[in-house]
This record gives sequence, C-alpha cells and structure tokens, in this order.
Amino acid sequence: MTHSLHRRGTIENLKDDYVVLVTPAVGINHHDSKEKLKKILDKIFELGPNNIGSYETGTIYSGATIEQIKEQLSETPRVRCCFDDREKVRELVKYIKESGCGLSVTLSGLIDDVKGMASELDITPHSINLSLGSFGKTDKLPDYGVLEFVTMCGHGMISGNLVEKLIDDVKKGKKSIKKAAELIAQPCVCGIFNTKRAEQLLQKYIDNKL
Amino acid sequence: MIINAEKCVGCGICIPYCPVGAIKLNNKKAHIELEECLECGTCGRDYIVKCPQNAIKESADVYERPRSIRKYFSDPMAYHVETKVPGRGTEEVKTNDVTGRVKKGEVGIGIEVGRPCLGTSYVEVEKITKALAGIGITYEEDNPITHLMEDPEKGTFIEEAKKSRVVSAIIEFTIPVSKMAKTLEVIKEVSKSIDTVFSLDLISRLESDGTIPVERELTKLGFEFRPNAKLNLGLGRPLKEE
Repeated sequence: MTHSLHRRGTIENLKDDYVVLVTPAVGINHHDSKEKLKKILDKIFELGPNNIGSYETGTIYSGATIEQIKEQLSETPRVRCCFDDREKVRELVKYIKESGCGLSVTLSGLIDDVKGMASELDITPHSINLSLGSFGKTDKLPDYGVLEFVTMCGHGMISGNLVEKLIDDVKKGKKSIKKAAELIAQPCVCGIFNTKRAEQLLQKYIDNKL
Repeated sequence: MIINAEKCVGCGICIPYCPVGAIKLNNKKAHIELEECLECGTCGRDYIVKCPQNAIKESADVYERPRSIRKYFSDPMAYHVETKVPGRGTEEVKTNDVTGRVKKGEVGIGIEVGRPCLGTSYVEVEKITKALAGIGITYEEDNPITHLMEDPEKGTFIEEAKKSRVVSAIIEFTIPVSKMAKTLEVIKEVSKSIDTVFSLDLISRLESDGTIPVERELTKLGFEFRPNAKLNLGLGRPLKEE
C-alpha cells in the first residue's frame, strides 16, 4: 500500500516530505506506459529527487542508476520517488499534467499542502487515502522516535534495531548524520525514504532533544 | 533465508538489518531462525547488507508452498502470481481515478495487519476477517489475501496460510458510507483481541472543492485521521467520475 499515508511525525517535520507515485492501472492503461514513464523518470532526475528506486533495482542510495531504473521497468511498470522540496514536486506534477500522459498520480504529504498545490495547478484531486492510525498491541511498538524513521519505508523493510544502532553510532561519533541517514534508507527498496528528513530527525538526537 | 555456516565468520553485520530480529549469533556464527524469518529478503540483498563472505542466500523452498506465502507477503521485490501486482495490496487509491474502485457514496477500507514493525500470523488476520464476516463484508478480489481464503463468506483461511507469518497482510474492501460506522466499530472491537497491530486506511472520493465527505462522521465516531495522507490527483485517463 506504499504506506506513505502512515508516516509518523509532526506537522513541522513532515512539511518538506513528499512521495510521488505514478501508477499505470493494470489492464486499463498499462500496456503502452513504459515510454511515458521513461520520460517522467528523465524529468524526475532533471529536478533532483531526494530518493528514487524500483522493486527491480533498489534505490540510488544502494547504487541504482537512472539508466538501470529505466531499463528494468517491468511489464506492469511504476514510478515512485521522494522529494524534499515543494517547488520541485510542483514542477513535476505540472509536467505530468501538461504531458497529458493519462497515468494516475498520487502525491503523499500534508493534506492541506497537497490540496493547495493542486489548486495552484488547477487540478481537482479525485480521492484520498487517510490514515486512521494504529490499533491492537501498540504497546509492543518501538519508541515514537524510531517509528518516525521506519514508517518512511513503504513495506516495513527498515528494522527498528538498525535505526537504534545508527542513532547510537551517530551519538558516539562513529558515523556522520548523512551517512547514517543513507544507511537507514537502503533497505527501503522502492525509494520513498526521505534522507533529508532522516538527517533532521537524527540531528534531534545529537541536540539531546530526544 | 539461510546463512551458510561454513562461510560465516560471525562478524554480525547482518543482525541489525532483520526487521523482526530473526538473525542470532551462536558460537560466533550468525544463524536465521526459520520460524521467525518472514522471507522479506533484506539480509540477502548484497547491495544493502554487505556480508563479507556472501554467506546469506534464499532457502531452496522459498517459492514453494507454504514458505512462498511468507515470501509473497513480505518481500516487495517478489511479484504476486495471482495479481501481477508487486507488493502486498492492490492499486487501491493509486489508480482510483481510472479504476473507480471506490466510488462516490462509498469508502474503501484497508487494514494492514502487522504494520508497523511487528509482523503477523494469519491466525491474527483471521480473527479480524471472521469478525467482519459477521457484517457481510465482501473482500477485494484482486487483493492477494483473498486468494488464501478457505471461505471468504466466513472469513477463514487455508491451513497453510495459518501456519505462516508475514511482514503484513492487507484486508481490503469497499463498502457504502452507510455501513462505515458499524464496520469501524467492529474493527475497533476486534483490535482488542489480536496479538499484533494494524494500520487502518480509509479511502474516500473528494468533493470538487476538496472536502472529505466523511470527515464529520469520522469525527463523530471518534476517529481522527493523520494530517498527512495519500491523494490521487485525478490525472489518470479515462477518468472515472462516478
């Protein structure tokens, strides 16, 4: 489900965190979508995403290149990426709209912000997937601070133990904040983990605010 | 996943990467507890976990039942045979503008059992689907968990599934708004009896001015939604307006 609606955090630290998915619908408009997606991928790389990857290649933080992501688009191809800059996302959505490619686009972010951006681009959003929260044995979950990192992965691939270890490494000066953020990002193979946001979250630990 | 004990030098580099802590160090050798391993594949990706001995591999039976159930519901790089869709769910809101999966006057519900962090067995998933069967829910046909059901009307699963643990399984269905209150009440009630967690999604069409038509009723029912969400921008064609 990409899980991007369930990203934990505050309004403040989710502000510059956008996940873009371009998804051809299987059996409806996926048959001629590869070339359209390749053009969109070129635009994404021109703009400079925070993260991008694919199920086939892994992400740019684990060595995947734009060429590999384009070449290995599957028979039911998808594009998913993450941005940390509102203007870049706005430019990408504007490009996709004006291209007239007819592929479905979802944008995850703060609801009011996404609606505002759509309005600026004269776009009428169709539907929304809301997070009503977590239920059940929530007392078994890791600390909220760890959840802020692991819920940035769409499929639950980032281990809470890895996050705790890298926070500890940063505190002890064994790893830089940037390196730790990139290492936490790697298991998220579809590329929606926002490393800039992770760096900001790690900085909180260095500042002893957590 | 398995670790070749002859190759392993016990460096422990793989241990923190396992999302469920299934990799242990015994007698200076790393070892994967097969009952705990959900077959997500992370530890075996050499571009992520840089095992110096290249000692971590998929087990020979991972694409055969029952082990394959863990694989397909845990590893996002494995494509479901039934749906041709990667990941664990459907295209849900992602393509709702062209599929019309959730129409005006309806809501889509997604119950992602096991997320975040804990994983789940199908015994826990079945507790929820059996509770929902009592109010006549019809499960999304394209969702892979529907293919593991023994009797969708009763919400029961095949025995092979019930012996499996996975990163998550998504119970997915669409209902009229008139049924939303009762359904959410059942979901909230059954959450008290499960030994894991779930994340709850609700898909709604938006009004042309961006209003969420069910917002007031959700508030009345005591459900708050997060300030962030996933919005389908309506750029897909042909557009489903209804």
